[in-house]
Amino acid sequence: MIQLKTMLNCIDNSGAAVVECVNVLKKKRPATVGDRIVVVVQKQRSFGPDTTNNVGIANKVRRGDIRHAVVVRVKKEMQRPDGSIVKFDDNACVLVNKSGDPIGTRMNGVVATELRSRQWSKILSLAPMHV
Amino acid sequence: MASPSPILRQLGCFRSLLKPQPQSLLQTGLNRRALSTVYSAKPTPKPIPENLPEQFIRQLPLHLRPKDPKARRPIPPPPPSAFNKCKDPVGAVADAQLAVLDPTGERRALFDYRRSQRSVKPGDIVRVTFKNGDPFNGVCLSIRLRGLDTSFLLRNQLTKVGVEMAVKVYSPNVESVEIVQRAASRKRRARLFYMRNPKHDMGTVENIVTNYIRQKRMLSGKKRAPVKAKK
Repeated sequence: MIQLKTMLNCIDNSGAAVVECVNVLKKKRPATVGDRIVVVVQKQRSFGPDTTNNVGIANKVRRGDIRHAVVVRVKKEMQRPDGSIVKFDDNACVLVNKSGDPIGTRMNGVVATELRSRQWSKILSLAPMHV
Repeated sequence: MASPSPILRQLGCFRSLLKPQPQSLLQTGLNRRALSTVYSAKPTPKPIPENLPEQFIRQLPLHLRPKDPKARRPIPPPPPSAFNKCKDPVGAVADAQLAVLDPTGERRALFDYRRSQRSVKPGDIVRVTFKNGDPFNGVCLSIRLRGLDTSFLLRNQLTKVGVEMAVKVYSPNVESVEIVQRAASRKRRARLFYMRNPKHDMGTVENIVTNYIRQKRMLSGKKRAPVKAKK
């Protein structure tokens, strides 16, 4: 249930930490896993103490940037075709550019397998784990 | 206030008694009603004369024509009720499906926590393996007993994010269900939704499950793991 004003965690290394949904694309209903949304970066990730050695990676996005994103986890329970239900404890997304390629190069966190059926295999292969 | 003199009152009453007319009016009304309810016997219909020609009978109104017993419209018998054929069709279908999906009744015993002692109980750590190969481990928060739709809810933390999965017990996609670890003590709730709160959250169960798998692999050469229920 991602809609206007929903705050999501951004789980890639693009530099955004928390983003706010401003639009759901190609859909008149709230977005769920695999849907493309437009977001505003609200909080930047500080590559601070743990990544001091590679200061070279600059944040690819800044606070206030408007970007496209793909939802990868939702709190709202999703029903699979076999009747099983999956839900996560948070809403999370991954930033993508206009052509649909992820902006970040790494992802930290589990994502839903529904991405495969929505043709986001590239995101799925970046993710460390999928459910 | 001056009380009215008793003589005056007496006189007034007397005068009203002398008045003749108004009472007779009421009397006439009563009389009229009585007249209308005088009993009169129901007029007996005059018998229709025998061998009356057909064209005369046709002129009579319908209710006065002589009744022909043969002319009654036949009433067809009601169609056979489907209810008598199968009292509980939904139950029959569910039973037939259960016979296909769970022929040995083992799955049923594994989750019927009200009757079966060795069943999965809320609070147990359970490992589910699906047909496509990927497993899911988690603490069992609730078991939803609904016949064919029986399901159980597992919760785990993967990469520090809570994940919950409700799995249908009789789903053909479920390869096996194993009890990894029993709850330390009997839970006082049937549904442990309070474990979603950070205060009561169990965290990840991955290390317990990996330990169990390692143990199982060690034991598998000699004998099967003691707490294992595999279909």
